[in-house]
Amino acid sequence: METPADLDARIIKLISQVVPVKPEQIKRGDRLREDLGMDSVCSMELLSMLAEELDLDVGVEDAAGIRTVADTIALAARFLRAKAAA
Amino acid sequence: MSAAAVQPVEVAEPDVMGALLTGVERYLRSEVDAAQIDREGAVPARVLAGLGELGVFGVTIPQRYGGAGLRLTDACRLAAALARADRSIATTVGLHLGLGTRPLVAFGAEGLKQRYLPRLASGEAIAAFATTEANAGSDLSRLATTALAEGAQLVVNGEKLFVTNGRLAKVFTITAATPGLGGAQRGSSLVLLESGDPGLSVGREERKLGLKGSSTAPLTIDGVRIEPERIIGEPGRGADQLHHVLAWGRTLMSAGCCGTARAALVKAIEHTASRRQFGRTLDAQPVVREHLALMGARLAAMEALVHDTASLEDDVPGLLQRSLAAKVFGSDGASYVVDTALQLFGGLGFIEESGMPLLLRDVRITRIFEGANDVLLTQLGTHLATAPPPRRALAPLVGPDAFALACSADVVAAALDAHREELSARHKIGLLRQTRLLNRLGRAVAWSEALDATVRAVDARRTTSRGAAALFSEVAARDVANALAAPFGEEVVSSALADLEPGA
Repeated sequence: METPADLDARIIKLISQVVPVKPEQIKRGDRLREDLGMDSVCSMELLSMLAEELDLDVGVEDAAGIRTVADTIALAARFLRAKAAA
Repeated sequence: MSAAAVQPVEVAEPDVMGALLTGVERYLRSEVDAAQIDREGAVPARVLAGLGELGVFGVTIPQRYGGAGLRLTDACRLAAALARADRSIATTVGLHLGLGTRPLVAFGAEGLKQRYLPRLASGEAIAAFATTEANAGSDLSRLATTALAEGAQLVVNGEKLFVTNGRLAKVFTITAATPGLGGAQRGSSLVLLESGDPGLSVGREERKLGLKGSSTAPLTIDGVRIEPERIIGEPGRGADQLHHVLAWGRTLMSAGCCGTARAALVKAIEHTASRRQFGRTLDAQPVVREHLALMGARLAAMEALVHDTASLEDDVPGLLQRSLAAKVFGSDGASYVVDTALQLFGGLGFIEESGMPLLLRDVRITRIFEGANDVLLTQLGTHLATAPPPRRALAPLVGPDAFALACSADVVAAALDAHREELSARHKIGLLRQTRLLNRLGRAVAWSEALDATVRAVDARRTTSRGAAALFSEVAARDVANALAAPFGEEVVSSALADLEPGA
């Protein structure tokens, strides 16, 4: 069973594949746009990679309102819980 | 066949730009020799000075700084007129009005505007914009150029490539990473540099396929020290600002494509009306007639889409999205019209004196600069997938002249929307990584928006060529259907690639 810390690390690693920032420099409170330099297309690509990596059934509309690393982690956790409950 | 038979007729409006254009077009006819500019690799300084005296460089700069304070739609009309005479001049002026001065006009602090805009409006100073680097362009997260605080100053370092107006400009707007500024860890900013800043140097003129009269050069920024006030607008907000100015630049560039396409179409009409083959003029041949009609229809749609796009000046998200469509549709369309016109010239079209080789060379870059078309199509498809713009059916909104066309446009748009919904349901968010699907969606969006714009142009009587519009609606319906067809199978593509051995 993946712990919250494992999930954080996994998502931060994914982010570091999308933007040229080392995982250790990425914090939960970072804003995708202002702090990590992602544009809207880039942040959507991140969520798409996340859905593929974790095998989650995320819809395009679910991605609205994701602004920070913490938002991204929360989205993943919510879908993982739903998947486990199904 | 007369030129008027296939050319969409632009309905003139009595306005400020109309009066300015009359003078500009007269000046271009008497003073500009496009072939000479191409041969000599520069627009004569006296031509640029003359255009400055006519007010060309200040068209979109507010009146209080010495400009005319006109709208983007007006600037587009100017860009089209300039491109019709010479694409190098259109590129020089278009870059100045768009990427060059727009950041300062839209986001600059009052002091910065007062300091620079009057000289830019008069043409005494020409503006350039520099963002492309060896490993970055519009992806600001990978910029290597930095502007870092050091005491009370900023120190700027970096290398920029392919800077349009590079060797002409006295004022440069550059993109730079500005970590920490404005509270953004990895933020970027637009920064204004002057040609006389110690440490700023412009490299040698690039040797290009076309646009030889337009300056393109690299920029080296080596420890340039500037006051922090040279940051344009809010520090750390470079990404938002860049999207805005790129939308302006793309729109103006699309208008230039209309001018180039019109120049080629007029040449083709004149040539095919005078050249005789098989006992009759070329323009009496059915195949040639169809080519000319299709070229005219495409141009009418390009002009309509540029007008629609520029009209969104005050709706920044709308302008961002629509300018992607206008740029791709305009540059593809201009390439198509120029290439077809050259073909109609036969062997003469291959000879420099016909003027066709110059048009062909000059148009080629339009599918590459201001964002390569494939990249923009994928962005356009991504926009559609993530935030489909609301679209109201056109048929209930238009008058009888445009009703049939509007019905066709509504059918095309409905097919596109149904296709988007189906892809979204099938791929979920994974659709955003299906770039080949997004690219095709983007192409369908561009054509659908061009058709919508054509309907609005007919309804508003901005064009009197309903025949061209009707023909374009048939073309658009076919091309959208083609774009929405499934892409080639991945296995077939991979198999074909496997046969392409290096050196074969």
